[in-house]
Amino acid sequence: MIPTVAPTRADQTERTTAAAANARSAGKAAIAKFSRHRLLTSPGAVTGIVWLAALVIASLTAPLWLPFKTEDQDFTAVLSGPTAAHWLGTDELGRDILSRIFAAAAGTLGTSLLTVIVGVALGTVLAMLSAGAGERTEGAISRGTEIMMSLPGTVIILAVIGAVGTNIPVVMAILGILMSAGIYRVILGQAKSLQSQLYVDAAKVDGSSPLGISVRHVLPGLANTIVVQAALIFAVGMLIQAGLAFIGFGPPIPQPSWGGMIQGASQHVYDAPWMMVPTGAVLALTVLSANAIGNALGKAPNASAPHLPSAAARRQRAKAVAAIASAAPSDRSAKAHEAKGTLSVRNLSVGVDSAGPGKGVPLVTDVSFDVQPGTVLGLVGESGCGKTMTALSLLGLLPSGVSVTGGQILWNGKNLAATTDKDMEAVRGREIALISQEPMRALDPMFTVGYQLNATLRRLRGMGRAEARNEARNLLEKVGIVDAERILKTYPHQISGGMAQRVAIALALSGRPRLLVADEPTTALDVTVQAEILSLLRALVKDTGMSVVMVTHDLGVVADICDQVAVMYAGQVVENGRTEKILDNPRHPYTLALLAADPHANHAHAMPERLASISGQVPQPKDWPSGCRFAARCQFAGSACTDPVPLLPSGTGEGLVRCVKADQLAVEGMDWLATDVPASQVLGIAPKQATIIGKDLA
Amino acid sequence: MSTTTTERLDPTPPSAATPMLEVRDLVVRYGRGRKAAAAPAAVDRVSFSIAPGETVGLVGESGSGKSTIGKAILGLQKASGGSISFQGKDITAAGAAERRALGGELRAVFQDPNSSLNPRNTIGISLAEPLRLRRVSAAEARTKAEDMLERVGLPREAVDRYPSQFSGGQRQRISVARALICDPQLVVCDEAVSALDLSTQAQVLNLLADLRDERGLSYLFIAHDIAVVQFLAQRVVVLYRGQVMESGPAAAVTEDPKHPFTRALVAASPVPRPAEQAARREARESLGVRTGAAAVPAQGGCPFRLRCPLATDLCASDRPALRRVGSADVACHYA
Amino acid sequence: MEVTMALFITKRLLMALATVLVVAVLAFLLVHAMPGSPGAVSLGAGASQDAIDQLNQQLGWNDPLFAQFFHWLGEAVQGNLGASLIDGRSISADLADRLPVTASLAAGATVLSAVLGIALGVTAAVRGGLLDQVIGGFVGLLVALPAFWVGVLFVYLFAVQSSVFPATGYVPFEVSPQDWALSLALPVITLAVGGAAFIARQTRASMLEALQQEHIRTLRATATPTWKILYVHALRYASLPIVAGIALQFIGLFGGSVIAEQLFAMPGLGQAVQTSVSTHDAPAVQGVVVIATVVVVAVNLVLELATKFLDPKLRAS
Repeated sequence: MIPTVAPTRADQTERTTAAAANARSAGKAAIAKFSRHRLLTSPGAVTGIVWLAALVIASLTAPLWLPFKTEDQDFTAVLSGPTAAHWLGTDELGRDILSRIFAAAAGTLGTSLLTVIVGVALGTVLAMLSAGAGERTEGAISRGTEIMMSLPGTVIILAVIGAVGTNIPVVMAILGILMSAGIYRVILGQAKSLQSQLYVDAAKVDGSSPLGISVRHVLPGLANTIVVQAALIFAVGMLIQAGLAFIGFGPPIPQPSWGGMIQGASQHVYDAPWMMVPTGAVLALTVLSANAIGNALGKAPNASAPHLPSAAARRQRAKAVAAIASAAPSDRSAKAHEAKGTLSVRNLSVGVDSAGPGKGVPLVTDVSFDVQPGTVLGLVGESGCGKTMTALSLLGLLPSGVSVTGGQILWNGKNLAATTDKDMEAVRGREIALISQEPMRALDPMFTVGYQLNATLRRLRGMGRAEARNEARNLLEKVGIVDAERILKTYPHQISGGMAQRVAIALALSGRPRLLVADEPTTALDVTVQAEILSLLRALVKDTGMSVVMVTHDLGVVADICDQVAVMYAGQVVENGRTEKILDNPRHPYTLALLAADPHANHAHAMPERLASISGQVPQPKDWPSGCRFAARCQFAGSACTDPVPLLPSGTGEGLVRCVKADQLAVEGMDWLATDVPASQVLGIAPKQATIIGKDLA
Repeated sequence: MSTTTTERLDPTPPSAATPMLEVRDLVVRYGRGRKAAAAPAAVDRVSFSIAPGETVGLVGESGSGKSTIGKAILGLQKASGGSISFQGKDITAAGAAERRALGGELRAVFQDPNSSLNPRNTIGISLAEPLRLRRVSAAEARTKAEDMLERVGLPREAVDRYPSQFSGGQRQRISVARALICDPQLVVCDEAVSALDLSTQAQVLNLLADLRDERGLSYLFIAHDIAVVQFLAQRVVVLYRGQVMESGPAAAVTEDPKHPFTRALVAASPVPRPAEQAARREARESLGVRTGAAAVPAQGGCPFRLRCPLATDLCASDRPALRRVGSADVACHYA
Repeated sequence: MEVTMALFITKRLLMALATVLVVAVLAFLLVHAMPGSPGAVSLGAGASQDAIDQLNQQLGWNDPLFAQFFHWLGEAVQGNLGASLIDGRSISADLADRLPVTASLAAGATVLSAVLGIALGVTAAVRGGLLDQVIGGFVGLLVALPAFWVGVLFVYLFAVQSSVFPATGYVPFEVSPQDWALSLALPVITLAVGGAAFIARQTRASMLEALQQEHIRTLRATATPTWKILYVHALRYASLPIVAGIALQFIGLFGGSVIAEQLFAMPGLGQAVQTSVSTHDAPAVQGVVVIATVVVVAVNLVLELATKFLDPKLRAS
């Protein structure tokens, strides 16, 4: 009986199906992958594997090395503690505890494994059946397992023992059936999510049979969960089995069992308390090992960061803020001529904290821009350019593990980058507010719209209950909701996305902020709703005189609403200035290329045969070159582009551009070429591109 | 009309008279029982056809049923009524075996490049899967996979890598390669570029256009973004709440829309030229289309009537039939 | 809304009834598979075959199975679970005496597990850092310790070494509330150790998930104080899986009481199962299985309704 519980997961499915020609390198890759496996990086799990392996080997070879037979009675040493002869002491009949523990191990582990096999196999098969077949099958199976889960399992097992006697393998197999319901529940969720993956749809389009899909796409995806469940069930099975033996339903009398031994020890807790220790410790260690393996495998590999960091993380950030504050002593002269409601970002840098994974990687470097009261600034660029990080830093709401590493965020002359989280509470909502991309997720699903608005109004504006209720209705009407009374009573899931974004805007307006940070506020909405929301924002800017920092990837949105625009690429501002100047007469090749690649920039009658495209992709933060970050993809790049490029006056008004060839390009009036050469000749590909590390953060 | 694909068409089209795909009065309802029957259908009597070598765009907002139509064609969603025929053969209720027998002539590219490739399989395994189902040998499948990767602009060595080693745009190109590996006649592209950034979106759109010209492919191009559709499609079908509002030549529908909904849709799509956009915005605001949030779906009549500036009592009682206005078919009493 | 809620409750009640019925059938079949006829068990070794046959005939043992089942069910619905084969006592009366013991034990252990578990889990999630790791390690150890072993340890520490609590026995509440509490203390704590660890894990995971939700950022962006974000909004979001975890825990603890009752010599349902199984007292086994199922299913139903009530999505739809 070998504990196939955990470590043999590996990538067998991948290997057996991999093309034979490549078997060796695939095998090598699998080994390399395995050594970085979650299991081997967790000290607890490694200890667990070693312990279980040692236990199995020791118990299987027990007859060869055990100093005593399990039934040998040493009447000279009854109830003895550890001695040279009896390392772990003896019981009331003078039997050697060490010998009995190891003699009992194989049976305990083996029958627990039986529970695991029955439970996991049944649970998995039922879950895959449910996920693959229609709603009706799923309903029936789920009902059945719900019934099974609400049964007092131990009592039923005892009734089973009444019927079949203490036939441990049978009892443990039935225990497996009872436990399969819980396993089914865990696996079903995952099996369903795997079934809804697009690659399963693709396989269906291929004409794969349901069985083929289950075997090729669903089962391999479940492997890890199955092993995790197996390890945890193994532990529970051992505990239950020992418990049964403890109350007298163990293997027949002379045969040792861990539960029976603890039961025996409990009779002597008054005169020989030591007897409790060895068996209890071995049982606990074995359970602990199985749990450690399960937990190491079950740990979500890339859980997203909390939006409210833990107290420990907040303390660390406070230290970082203090460091920035002391590094950049407040500039009194700058403060003096900052008008009310002016945002001035100076050389802002944001990076991954040096402690975490991807340590110290910069995400935003040297970003500067100004926002005057009553104006809208667009931060535009592709994903991974640092626009959202820049926006969140304005409110001090960067995700855990990411912080401002340099520069200043001057709001009314106060440097927000050096302001503690506590002090930021006076700024958030009251002076700077936030709306985000997915309005539905931005609202608390557990509370009504009315509660959320009222609580915010009472907090930010110090209103009374009745006053807040009135103002909540006014706010909703202000953001264009006609039946405000009804909406106040609804929960977020009961309204549409466009309506939710209006509510989110009302929430943001409740503290009468002077600056609204809008992070892709219309990306998740339909275009007709987007147009309405943009009109609403424009009207609000006009009526209230607040300013907006609008993060977007859509140049059309920029053209619609922004007065100023800063184009970002790979964590830098590459061009900024007035919107008309930049969109009608771009100076940076990246802006030029983005416009040429945008199908919206063309009229239907003049739609080109091929769009201009930019080869390759935005580089990962860790791969940023020291010179121009766009050079590798730029049609105009030259030798001068390998040196760092500063922001230079672009020659059109107050705009700036980060390109050494900007003037030359302007004079020559060059266009980004719309190529119709085969894609393979244009597309530069990074063949060695590694797994994307900063992806979750950027 | 942008590209003239008919000239570059495959020398032997099945038959000039037989459309590549024909959808007739398709109805799809979600769920079962009385409740589902009472709810408005996700797809409500939709008809259109695709000629060999033609690209048809299916445009609409969320809830318009455009993706459901794609799923019904691909056999991923059961049709509740109507028929779908592919190269003259009825495939409305085709099972897995029949789909396999189509010989890979009807293929798909999906939206999310992160989920359309199994992360546990190498690119080679994913690409070979449709071929292996058709009993192509492993060695041959691998060679074909490498050729196809090269064709979509990726190195041949990519066969041994995993999806996580590629960016979103690259993964979408791999999905295109997977769709095209068994030389299909029709590819359904369901929001195939909407998850991509501008520059990669342009790369994939160009690739789709290149492949179409090379192989005389037909596309059903489903997207919410009318400008993207307009780049690739010769004809456009505009959907609202499961019904066809307008269909016709791409240039006509997008430049001179006749249906009030199409007008609102086209006007709402912003262009990156500030002066022009300001003018478009004013034009849009003067259309008088009411906000979608207030409109409760009601059965019978025109689904757009609650938002429509032209709506009358007639629109509440009679569902307008498609009729020819200019070069397009429009479902509106007053267009 | 009220209509759908009523419909939901009706559905659940029917499900609960079906569960009990399924268990009744299962228990009946199991009991019939027990070795020895009731006559043989009742009369003990040395009884003549004739006497055994006669008693079996009298008990209806030779009737068709379904007739026996419906006879039993008819009596059971009226509250009569038959008589013990061993001492002839009314099983209903016996179980009625025993139920309060197990109920106090399971309820006490569930409440204690919930309080300790939620406190530990929330602390670990909210404080983070070293404290999180320490709690995590501690909880991991508690999960692995077998309840009966912990029980013996407690007996050793609190009854043998310091005699703070009585080691064994049960004092009914009516006799002396104070002694009742003291007699329950050790078994309840013993059972709660594992339960608390389980709930702590569930709570920590649910809290962390709640804190990853985007609406937490909205709350911060509107200057919501940290305590309110944690204990009003995040805990509210996390409450659904936590309550579901508590419901599961109650089922587990109800079963676990078999061990605690044996260890601490408590005259509860668990002891009854254990004795009746050992003595092959078929009607007693059947009775106790059904009663235990009724209790567990009822409590489960209440907790499930609580979960539904906590979730606005389910409440509304």
